[in-house]
Amino acid sequence: MGNSVNFSAVLTVWKKELIDHLRDRRTVMMVFMLSVLMGPLLLVGLSFFISNIEEKAEKKEVFILGAANAPQLANFLARQDFTIKDPKPDFRELIKEGKHDAVLVVGKEFGEKFATGNAEVELVYDDTRQNASAQSISILRQIMRGFNGEVTSQRLMARGVSPTVTRVVETRNTNLGTPAQRAAALMFIIPWMALFAGISGCTSIAIDLTAGERERGSLEPLLLNPIDRLSIVLGKWAAVATYAVTIVMLILAGFALTLVLIPLPKLANLISLSAMQYLSFAALLFPFAPAIGALQMLIATYGRSFKEAQTYVTYLIFVFSFVPVLPMFLQIKDADWQLVVPMMGQLMVLNRVLRGETLGAIHFVVPLIICVIIAAVSIYLLNKLLHKENIIFGRS
Amino acid sequence: MIEVRDLKKKFGDVHAVNGVSFTAKSGAITGLLGPNGAGKTTTIRMIGTLVTIDGGSVSVNGIDAATDGEGVRRTSGLLTDARGLYTRMTARENIRYYADMRGIDRAKSDRTISRFAGWLDMGDILDRRTEGFSQGERMKVAITRALVHEPMHVILDEPTNGLDVMTTRALRELIKRLKAEGCTVMFSSHIMQEVAALCDEIIIISRGRVTAQGTTQELLTMSGKNNLEDAFVSLADMEDHDANMAKEAA
Repeated sequence: MGNSVNFSAVLTVWKKELIDHLRDRRTVMMVFMLSVLMGPLLLVGLSFFISNIEEKAEKKEVFILGAANAPQLANFLARQDFTIKDPKPDFRELIKEGKHDAVLVVGKEFGEKFATGNAEVELVYDDTRQNASAQSISILRQIMRGFNGEVTSQRLMARGVSPTVTRVVETRNTNLGTPAQRAAALMFIIPWMALFAGISGCTSIAIDLTAGERERGSLEPLLLNPIDRLSIVLGKWAAVATYAVTIVMLILAGFALTLVLIPLPKLANLISLSAMQYLSFAALLFPFAPAIGALQMLIATYGRSFKEAQTYVTYLIFVFSFVPVLPMFLQIKDADWQLVVPMMGQLMVLNRVLRGETLGAIHFVVPLIICVIIAAVSIYLLNKLLHKENIIFGRS
Repeated sequence: MIEVRDLKKKFGDVHAVNGVSFTAKSGAITGLLGPNGAGKTTTIRMIGTLVTIDGGSVSVNGIDAATDGEGVRRTSGLLTDARGLYTRMTARENIRYYADMRGIDRAKSDRTISRFAGWLDMGDILDRRTEGFSQGERMKVAITRALVHEPMHVILDEPTNGLDVMTTRALRELIKRLKAEGCTVMFSSHIMQEVAALCDEIIIISRGRVTAQGTTQELLTMSGKNNLEDAFVSLADMEDHDANMAKEAA
């Protein structure tokens, strides 16, 4: 199918494609700016999210309607340093809209029934509004459990029964998660975004150099040069790979600079990434983005026009964005077989790096080999396609 | 010399080129004349090794296209009907790209570019980005790009198609100049006056076959007609075709 690769031609194609694409200022600025800004935006957002949760927990405020009807409960809360607040009058609507924390409603008959032992309180919440009130629901439930336990013990003792009768098994909480790991659970979004941006960032150049080249009518004259088509493919891929690696570097730099320069309450002490961790990120992301870039070029080549190619590549990216959700849906635990699945493997290892776990060479070598295979197969098929007449001249 | 022997190409059930043979003599201008869909473009694409050859052979300057496609592309300058430019690059950068790919050094390619710029009157557009270029301007850049290595064999597919009078004239002058410099030039066209005015020899192609070959005078004699248009229609086997069409209509 061809002679040996003409390296000076590869270099010529690489240089031209990079310069040409970098002159598409609007696209390039969009991609590069988003890459640089992604780190700061994500980290600042996360930092607010985390401190918000902690604030709510620290504030020790609960909303109770009719607290005066239950002086025993009010006393219990006071001893636990909780402040009782009156809910807004239209709290039921507000909770539905996700604008109000959960509310405990104590009826007028509470005091009377409390003495006889069948008192009721109502916990008003909306569990479809997880983010807004999840914390307040669990706090109120905990409080009611604690209050029940205390009253039960007192009443049993009054009757001369040991309170341990009702507590057959006592659960002691031992949370092995370090604060860093807890932060990492939230920060899984960081590697996901870095991976995703590495892929979607080089879409425009991958399509421009393949389907775009043909749509412009410049593919045919290009192939009339005395250059092996593999050299042309390699030059184009080298340009896409350079672009992809640049995007990944910008993303990592964005994260690193944000952590160093912006004082992030709560987050700064939870994540401080070491140079080794950054190197690990790079080791995973650098081969991944160019490999998927090659795959995007291959798929885009099938498109009759730039538009059609864009549609095909969008499907590919959709599939990739779905991969990280799979382990969550299928409840798959981290396992080494995931290393061979593109995206899934990278994501798993990136998460472990974020959690500060020690990893073996296998965790980097296997995804690397998979990336090399994806790139090599894509380039091989691209070269084959450029020998097909219906691809060169377009299909009708 | 460009030699084409019994060339064949089939797309599906259609014989686009069905046994075309001709010789374009060294140092001469040869015209490939034929109606639309006669097989001119496919023949030129096979010479340029863009399309695989189903049967027969092509050789340019003694190099066989089937065994050494790169050799053919190295020694010849081909312009097909796809003439797309990179719009974010200047005319000069577009041309240099191909010069670099062929390993031509900057000084030499700049000399060639200035020479063509003079001939084709495109000095003022050389350093402008090609976005918004007129068809004539695009053509000038495309032909310079195709010939930047100053090949001795030049093959052009419908070079004057869609161009205005001025550009067409500049292009005709260029073709004559190339001949004067000793190049073997072959170009296709469906306009008989153009071919007659420029070519030393004309090859008439119709429905994938060569139906006649000779000088203008020889073709007139061969057809027994006294004007070129009638000769072309007759030799391109069009009369037959027209008669059939008339019969079908009736």
